[in-house]
Amino acid sequence: MTNPILTIKNLTKKYGDNVVFHDINLTVNEGDTIVIIGPSGTGKSTLLRCINLLTRADEGQVWLDDKEITAKDCDEDVVRQHIGMVFQNFLLFNHLTALDNVLLGLTKVKHMKPEEAKVKALMELERVGLSDRAGHYPGQLSGGQQQRVAIARALAMDPRIMLFDEPTSALDPELIGEVSDRIVFLEKGSIVEEGTPDELFYHPQHERTREFLWKITELYGKKETGKIDG
Amino acid sequence: MKRLILLVVVLTLTLAIVGCASSTDHLAAIKDAGKLVVGTSADYPPFEYVDEVGNTTGFDVELMNEIGKRMGVTVEWTDMPFDSLIAAVQEGKIDMTIACMNYDEERDKTVDFSDAYYTSEDALVVLEGFTGDLTDPMNMANYTVGAQSGTTQDGWITDNLVTPGLLPEDKFMRYERVDQVALDLQAGRIDVMMSDYVPAQAIVDQFGGMKVVYHGVLSTGPLNIVIPDGDKNLQAELNRIIKELQAEGFIDDLAVKYFSE
Amino acid sequence: MDVARFLQYIALGTVYTVGVTLIALPSGLILGTLFALLNVYSGKVVKWFTSLYSTMMRGIPPIVLLFILYFIVSGNINLSPFWAGSISLGIVSSAYQMEIIRGAILSVSGGQMMAARAIGMSKSQAIRNVIFPQTLRLAIPPWSNEAAIVIKDSSLVYALGVPEILRRAQLISASTQQPFLAYAAAAAIYFILVFVTNRLLDALERRLRIPANP
Repeated sequence: MTNPILTIKNLTKKYGDNVVFHDINLTVNEGDTIVIIGPSGTGKSTLLRCINLLTRADEGQVWLDDKEITAKDCDEDVVRQHIGMVFQNFLLFNHLTALDNVLLGLTKVKHMKPEEAKVKALMELERVGLSDRAGHYPGQLSGGQQQRVAIARALAMDPRIMLFDEPTSALDPELIGEVSDRIVFLEKGSIVEEGTPDELFYHPQHERTREFLWKITELYGKKETGKIDG
Repeated sequence: MKRLILLVVVLTLTLAIVGCASSTDHLAAIKDAGKLVVGTSADYPPFEYVDEVGNTTGFDVELMNEIGKRMGVTVEWTDMPFDSLIAAVQEGKIDMTIACMNYDEERDKTVDFSDAYYTSEDALVVLEGFTGDLTDPMNMANYTVGAQSGTTQDGWITDNLVTPGLLPEDKFMRYERVDQVALDLQAGRIDVMMSDYVPAQAIVDQFGGMKVVYHGVLSTGPLNIVIPDGDKNLQAELNRIIKELQAEGFIDDLAVKYFSE
Repeated sequence: MDVARFLQYIALGTVYTVGVTLIALPSGLILGTLFALLNVYSGKVVKWFTSLYSTMMRGIPPIVLLFILYFIVSGNINLSPFWAGSISLGIVSSAYQMEIIRGAILSVSGGQMMAARAIGMSKSQAIRNVIFPQTLRLAIPPWSNEAAIVIKDSSLVYALGVPEILRRAQLISASTQQPFLAYAAAAAIYFILVFVTNRLLDALERRLRIPANP
């Protein structure tokens, strides 16, 4: 559990003079679940997009295993196959059934044979408990079901890591503290502090972290949950 | 994607290849092909029109078919609006045009003419009840006048009445076809229609309620076949055959067939 | 005068009208789609160029363009009036179809492209497999309008000497002095062609509609 799978070094992203985040350093080990929390507009989504290269960072590097994926000669299409992403609004392909949503990457990107791909896609849907909805179009699924299809679509590519953008809108926030190994608190484009859920939620070191958690508590009425992203 | 690119390339090439006119002799090329492409505007009876089975026929058409026969080629007819004909000859889209056209200095700058194959006159047509005076065609200045656009009548009215300021521009209506002029005359939107005499007579007979108040040579006169500029061999060949047909009385017979009741 | 024969003569022009439309519409679609893709997905220069193309083509009356393309541009190439007219009309239509496809591409959300890229698809794979299938569905209703316009605009090729419906009606009007009959016949045929085309495309749209809960 000590091999770093993802290493972020001095990552900075600006739009003109507007700094979205700057000098972010983060190491994720194999098997870890990291949750990034912070106020909205603080650069969480942009950070995720910079990790799978949908957005290009201005400075710094991202390493996946021992390969620098921010390097110029790195094929970003290949990189993204290894980084699964589930978007906030899921972004299923609207014109395809749940099964075809999962199949598309297998046949077009992984170039699997149609029969093999279908077996795998059905297995992935089974994993998220939606094999009975294989023939349904996104417009015929509930938000939660769409999210599970999106997860199946990402998992089908056998990624090294998975990124979830604002998954809590459809998941129970209380679960996050239980499933995560580490919580990172991001504010105004920098990491304020990070630690285990216990450390961060119950013994925050920084005033800003306390303020944030206090606001969240007011909002939700419970001390142990925060608005959790990542 | 490759096919799209190919199509664009083909289109671009199509658009790029301009101005590669053949330098070989036009007449020889026509005879080699055994085919003469002749343009006309088949909306001008009795010179050129469509008969009840859809064939192009009329005075000009039958004459041209005979000329083709004597050249040893088949005539292939292409119908297009009158205004497009000269441009089509210039661009080599058709070998020549016969469409009740007169020699005209402006036209002579861009195309050439055969000798006259027939001489036509102009006519002024009015409704039966017309009481004005048109014994002098210049009196048209007092009325609303209509003519087919691009014809010699159009040119005559423009040069003699509109440009000198005798006839206001908005009192002169130009139409795409002669039957449209007649329809507007019938509807009372114009007072006088100016056209070639022979089709004018035919229109008076067909429409009824109209009369020819004047006829004589004003704008028109000799009718010529229009050929590409500087096409001397073709011109000589046409002139030879026209002379032959006139001598044989063929053209006079055709005139009787088409221009008398 | 044999009315039935004259009407038959006009009706035979349908062959040319349909023929011109069947060449002009698809060639306009291919060109228009290509330009739309270039306009949306390529660099500034190409974007500017394709926008200029669209603006110019749509700013000139089709009949003027037709003459330019036919007489000047196609110069001395041996193209029959039918083919030259059809292709010219296709080029005219391509600018309008470009705008239709461009609008449809832009109304497929940008997220769809992002989702496709996120599973490792290249840009062109994403366009082909994700953006395009959705674009075409969205484009059918406005394209149906353009199809009707091209059917009606096909009458313009008469100016180049193609004996389609309108030209035949004019010739019959001239030789029979019965303009009403001739033009009414032409109007009826155009109406039927446009009506049937729109109905077929409506049916196609219903068939391809993506199922969704109300």
